[in-house]
Amino acid sequence: MLKKLKSVRAFLTLGLLLSLAFAGYSACYKVKYWGFNFTPRQTTDVWTVEEHVSFMPNGGDIRVSLARPLSAAGFKILDEYIIAPKYKIGKKAERVELTSKPRHKLQDIYYRVLLYDNVDSHGKTEAEKPNKPQKPIMDEQTAALAQQLLEMSERQAGDNIQRIVALFNQNPPDETVQSFVPAPRTAKATAQAVIDLLALKDISARMARGIKLSEGKKTLVPDVMLEAYVDGMWKIYNLESGKKGLPSDFIIFQRGNQSLVDVEGGTDSITKFSVMKSIRSSLRMAGHRAELSRSKSWFDYSIYSLPLNEQNTLKWLMIFPLAILVVVLMRNVVGIQTMGTFTPMLIAMSLVKTGFWSGLVCFSVILGVGLLIRAALSKLNLLLVPRISAVVIFVILIMQALAIVGYQWKWEMASSALFFPIIIMAWIIERASITWEEDGALNATKEIVYSVLVAIITYFVIVNEDIRHIMFAFNEFNLVILFVVMLLGTYTGYRLTELTRFASLAKKGGNHV
Amino acid sequence: MFDFLKRFATPKQLREAGVLGMNRRNYEIIAKSNNRRLYPLVDDKVQTKKLAAGVGINTPHLIGVIDVQNEVAGFLSLVEGYNEFVIKPAHGSGGKGVLVIKDYDAKRFVTASGKVLTYNEVYQHISNILSGLYSLGGKYDVAVLEEMVHFSNQFQDFSYQGIPDVRVIVYQGFPALSMMRLATKESGGRANLHQGAVGVGIDIRTGHAVAAVSHNRPIRYHPDTGADLMELQVPFWREHLEIAAKGFEMTGLGYLGADIVLDKYRGPMMLELNARPGLAIQIANDRGMRNLLKRIRKHYPNGLNYAERVDFVLKQPLAID
Repeated sequence: MLKKLKSVRAFLTLGLLLSLAFAGYSACYKVKYWGFNFTPRQTTDVWTVEEHVSFMPNGGDIRVSLARPLSAAGFKILDEYIIAPKYKIGKKAERVELTSKPRHKLQDIYYRVLLYDNVDSHGKTEAEKPNKPQKPIMDEQTAALAQQLLEMSERQAGDNIQRIVALFNQNPPDETVQSFVPAPRTAKATAQAVIDLLALKDISARMARGIKLSEGKKTLVPDVMLEAYVDGMWKIYNLESGKKGLPSDFIIFQRGNQSLVDVEGGTDSITKFSVMKSIRSSLRMAGHRAELSRSKSWFDYSIYSLPLNEQNTLKWLMIFPLAILVVVLMRNVVGIQTMGTFTPMLIAMSLVKTGFWSGLVCFSVILGVGLLIRAALSKLNLLLVPRISAVVIFVILIMQALAIVGYQWKWEMASSALFFPIIIMAWIIERASITWEEDGALNATKEIVYSVLVAIITYFVIVNEDIRHIMFAFNEFNLVILFVVMLLGTYTGYRLTELTRFASLAKKGGNHV
Repeated sequence: MFDFLKRFATPKQLREAGVLGMNRRNYEIIAKSNNRRLYPLVDDKVQTKKLAAGVGINTPHLIGVIDVQNEVAGFLSLVEGYNEFVIKPAHGSGGKGVLVIKDYDAKRFVTASGKVLTYNEVYQHISNILSGLYSLGGKYDVAVLEEMVHFSNQFQDFSYQGIPDVRVIVYQGFPALSMMRLATKESGGRANLHQGAVGVGIDIRTGHAVAAVSHNRPIRYHPDTGADLMELQVPFWREHLEIAAKGFEMTGLGYLGADIVLDKYRGPMMLELNARPGLAIQIANDRGMRNLLKRIRKHYPNGLNYAERVDFVLKQPLAID
């Protein structure tokens, strides 16, 4: 007999461990590949960057080449739209090519990218060692200036690159710098000057052009940053502050000297960039993320691929196992006797929908009025089924009355009465009143108080937003709960309440703790 | 501040005292000794009566059974010739729905506690039984009418109104532990401990009181009659044990509780059997029963008949455990 018990326990323990391992693995997988979080309300910023290219065709074949954002650089492309009617669209890794036969009217092409932060290593891109930079070709005077600048840079703070960048940001501007790069200086010109100076020191550097993301931004000029090859990595530098590292809001479209937009077969081309920010919940992003990863097929069979409406229902259902676990613990480990096994759980579920205090008040009112009516009914000596049915109808009427009175008196609390399960309420009333008649008011009150107590405990477990999020987002933990519940089915130890119930039997003289 | 903790024992203390807890009772004793298939035998009082007659156990005589609503009106003709009778649900438990009529005419019915009911009220009571008000799970039930037990005067001082009965726990056919349940004013004449009745532990070998409790607390005197409970001695003890032991042959239940009453004229009679007897009997006896059950399981002989088993129990040395 004992052997059997042990083997059942061993089997269930094994099941528990396996389910734990599975749940752990699956949770890690979801975090890693689907971007799930352990806390709810986690949101992801989604940026929409729009490139608007307009130009006048000059009669020749049209070829427009647009740089695509580089996905390795901190952001991932969520979606990409090209609005270019009747253009032939060709996508390459780094550029989008649009081709068309000659046209005549003014052309407007929109390229829209939805991006989200994928929290990669910001601003550090491992790469193979580039070739030694070619020394720039300079005339004598410029070379002298450059040499002078390099010497000056020694007096600036920071690493090699930062010192040179600092030269261009002196206030008031240094004259030598002015003569090296005549004012007005564009960011591009500055970048080129820094790259030239770095080349003299045998440091490879290149331009990184893109867009600094800020809400509502509209600009004609892409932002420029500097990338330099240091210690086996391309590192990004801000050309204004010399700060190292890719700002979290900078999206690189293009590296090196190539332009962001090339237009052939057109003149007067103007490119405008605009940026918009939107926020999406991480969970909803999961599908998009999964699509980008190899885990797409698994995602299709998870609950997150369902329509939102179904997901919400499931979100509600996924909390049940935990509530059931609480009930099992309360009954078999703590040893509280309640009315009906799952009645407290159902009350707790209602409390979640009604809110705690208003729910409790409404529950008490329904129960109180119901018990009074039930007491009157028992005088009529009705048969069981008609009597319980009458109680059900009375419960409905009480709820209705509460809702109407609550509305008229602007007492919102009362409307929550509608969330209580009618049949359950009727049975609570029926049972309480029978216990009242047979075992006295004390026992009836005890039963009600214990049931409500368990309901309240259950409520506080399941009302927690974090717990609900975890049970939904990582629903494999329900499997763990299943095995815990089954293991509790083999628990043969004392219940907490038995420690006091049987206290008089404890060995006399021993310390009661 | 931590005074309330004094009311708790540690699990270790209870283990040492050999207390059987509810979880262990359900898992190790009931689930393994009592086949669920056998439950209907004891859950239905009509069935129990028939089985009892088969093995020669005395039970209160059956007057009749009312199993459909339109027979309810005829209950008076059923009890014709009886001066008193008892109405109970066939599937009731814990004395719920039991109505004892001591005296009656066509209109007035006097219950054991002296309450007077009208014909309509009794009619209603039977209807309630049929509709399942008192049955387990609210299933449709039948009403059993049986002869009233004439309680022996032996226990007059020990019980406030109501019906004193002896509960014997029988494990694998061996009477293991017993107690007497005495009604009090608080329990309303009923013998349920949780309703306030007094439980008196009875030595399984002698039929003599060993300890008494009310509401889980040890007591010495009956709260209403003031009788010294330690003087309680159950007469015809061997007969009590034999009835209990026969319950095993009768039902096949390895773990059962037999409720036995003492009739003035007919001696000990079995009222009902219980497949899930409670654990309060340990408190009434001031001893745990886990080790005792283990000993019965491991060391008591197999294959004895009921009389031999009773002999075996009666011959056990006085200092158990």
